[in-house]
Amino acid sequence: MFKKILLATSGAPSTFGAARVAFDMAKRYGAEVVVLNVMGVPTKAFSQVVNDVRTGEEVEVDDEYRSWVEEELKTTFEKQFETVEFSKLVLTTGVPHREILRCARDEDVDMIVMGASSGDSNVYRKGYPGSTLQRVAKAARCPVMTVHRETASYWGGFSNIVFATDFSKQAASAFKFSLNAAKELDSDLTILHALDISGKVLDQNEIEDRLIAARERIRGTYDLGDFKNCDIEVWEGVPYVEIVKMARERSADLIVMAHHIRELDPEKARIGSTMEQVILRAGCPVISVSKPDKV
Amino acid sequence: MPEGKFCNKTPITTEEQLKATLGDKGGKQYYEEMNHLDVDSEKLWGAIQKTMKSRTKTWLEICAHCGLCAESCFLYQVNGRVPEQVPSYKIQSTLGQMVKKKGKVDNEFMQMCMETAWSKCTCCNRCGMYCPHGIDMGVMFSYLRGLLYSQGFVPWELKIGAGMHRVYRAQMDVTMEDWVETCEWMAEETEEEWPGLEIPVDKEDADIMYTCNAREPKHYPEDIAEAAILFHVAGENWTVPSEGWEQTSLSMFAGDWECCKDNVVNVYSAIERLRPKRAIGTECGHAHRATVIEGPYWAGREDGQPPAPYIHYVEWLAEALRTGKLKIDPAKRIKEPVTLQDSCNYVRNQGLKDVTREIISYIVEPGYFVEMAPNKEHNYCCGGGGGFNGIGLYREQRNVALRKKKQQILDTGCKLVIAPCHNCWDAIRDLEEEYEIGIRWSFLKPLVIGMLDVPEHLLPKDE
Ligand code: SF4
Ligand code: SF4
Ligand code: SF4
Repeated sequence: MFKKILLATSGAPSTFGAARVAFDMAKRYGAEVVVLNVMGVPTKAFSQVVNDVRTGEEVEVDDEYRSWVEEELKTTFEKQFETVEFSKLVLTTGVPHREILRCARDEDVDMIVMGASSGDSNVYRKGYPGSTLQRVAKAARCPVMTVHRETASYWGGFSNIVFATDFSKQAASAFKFSLNAAKELDSDLTILHALDISGKVLDQNEIEDRLIAARERIRGTYDLGDFKNCDIEVWEGVPYVEIVKMARERSADLIVMAHHIRELDPEKARIGSTMEQVILRAGCPVISVSKPDKV
Repeated sequence: MPEGKFCNKTPITTEEQLKATLGDKGGKQYYEEMNHLDVDSEKLWGAIQKTMKSRTKTWLEICAHCGLCAESCFLYQVNGRVPEQVPSYKIQSTLGQMVKKKGKVDNEFMQMCMETAWSKCTCCNRCGMYCPHGIDMGVMFSYLRGLLYSQGFVPWELKIGAGMHRVYRAQMDVTMEDWVETCEWMAEETEEEWPGLEIPVDKEDADIMYTCNAREPKHYPEDIAEAAILFHVAGENWTVPSEGWEQTSLSMFAGDWECCKDNVVNVYSAIERLRPKRAIGTECGHAHRATVIEGPYWAGREDGQPPAPYIHYVEWLAEALRTGKLKIDPAKRIKEPVTLQDSCNYVRNQGLKDVTREIISYIVEPGYFVEMAPNKEHNYCCGGGGGFNGIGLYREQRNVALRKKKQQILDTGCKLVIAPCHNCWDAIRDLEEEYEIGIRWSFLKPLVIGMLDVPEHLLPKDE
């Protein structure tokens, strides 16, 4: 399940966490890493002038700039490149989420790994609003792993996976991915449903009933086969808070969630996006799954 | 001096030349070479004698130097109303002199002409409406650009732009394979949310053949997906051609006439090959001008029409909303002050002013639409037309040019600007970046998709 990994990085320190996880996974599971750097967003569709993703400066992408960026990246990830068997550097210009998706498709990767702020710098041009992550997570055909720069609990390998379900169609794919990962990596799996009671006035009995119903629903929906190391939990509250709490309690090193925001405007989508909140608050990498492919 | 390696009288026709010219950072060597480029006076005069139409000649002769056109030009207004920015002065001192001297002009003169043609006129054709003789500088400057191009005096980016069209038949390096692949990709990415959605390539005898702007497959393929969604919801029988899909013409802005013809013939061949009932272009304004308004003449079509009815996207959209093919959920209409950028290229040049306002009437809650002043065919250029947006050498002048639109938008008090034309959209984006007036801007497609009332059977089943 991890044969080819796409690491999307700007080369900035905020993406080092993502790089650490991507290269470590590749080393452990013998995967190939494709390192993608979107150098800048074209200022004019047909011009060579781009806004550098990191600095926001207008720069002209020519061979000189290209090789400078390439050198920088090679130096930055020098040690890591040595640890993996195959690696490849792809440099391009364009709108970051588009180029990440394009590269993932061209290279047919099994997973995209990115930093929580990769390509999302504050100088990111207005008018292509919103989060690179939201857009990548929504459209990618493979799971997308996000590593926030403060990610602390990842020490290599995955031994405790928390899969948070909201029973959406996409959650079925996310479950499949979680189960396969747990089996393959020989780790524990917690299936969690966070019952959303935010903004609702429910009496205690009703909450109890719903918790029981949700448990049953998990049992009825997700077929574990002969997999034993699995717990089922239903907690009530604000979903992202509960997911993050659970991850901490279990010392989880991976959270898996479904992504299914249908909102076209990523600015609106990110408000109230459980996934985005989890990514920012969790201490471990978060994988979002949206499509049934590559799980 | 003989011609330079990059700056010369020969168009770019190979990928190799193209890449080499691109590699010349900022056109540094190119512009240096231009300082030594000889003017071939004989050829220039020959071209003028052969190509200058009687209309242009008459215009040059009858101009009364009355200056009535001065105020009409936004560049005159934003540049301190200096005499050098009066339309009649701009053309008389360049093309007028060139003709008067029978082509016997020097390098310095040609460079002055280049600067005037590309940084002091966006070919927006506004002045033509105010001159008592109907003298249109936009038309004359396009003509002058052609003469300059043939002598190698053209801004670096536009030499490249025209070269792109010659090499790839697209304004950017998007090959036919890239294009078809992008259509497949977008269909895949979109079909989940829109079951049954397709982007059919090369379907014969469809009702609609859709063409676009190469910036879409290159950087913003969502635009293609959005077109597909709207055609899908409207239940249209449509297709895109694998070859002849690119509608824009930087060669038109560069003055590369030969290339203009080649491109538009390529699009027309697609129409002839696939026989759609009609063709629909994307929201881009200059693409429409190139393929629909001027194209037939370049292609030598006697009736002045493309081989099939060819309409602009706003025309299709208004029709789809009018006939109920697309329905808007009234609750989702825009409920904030919003204004509209009238694109010179299809409003002034083709009169599509009412149709855009009809669209507004469906998508904006009554009372929230604020007109710019002036508007419709009197609207000012966005500030970046005619290739101005893309020319690094004249970036500062372009930024000054944006001030007119900035003021127009500020005067409306709107924070949202609908800018259907791609190039206007770019200019308005740059305007915000340069002057930070706190606005947002949008094409029509994403706005409309966001407020569609989608029939039940078109929604995904299981959610
Ligand atoms: S065409 Fe437009 S920019 Fe050019 S001179 Fe006339 S008004 Fe000014
Ligand atoms: S308004 Fe017409 S006639 Fe008068 S100066 Fe301008 S171009 Fe010449
Ligand atoms: S970019 Fe738009 S406003 Fe500007 S000249 Fe072209 S059509 Fe007119």
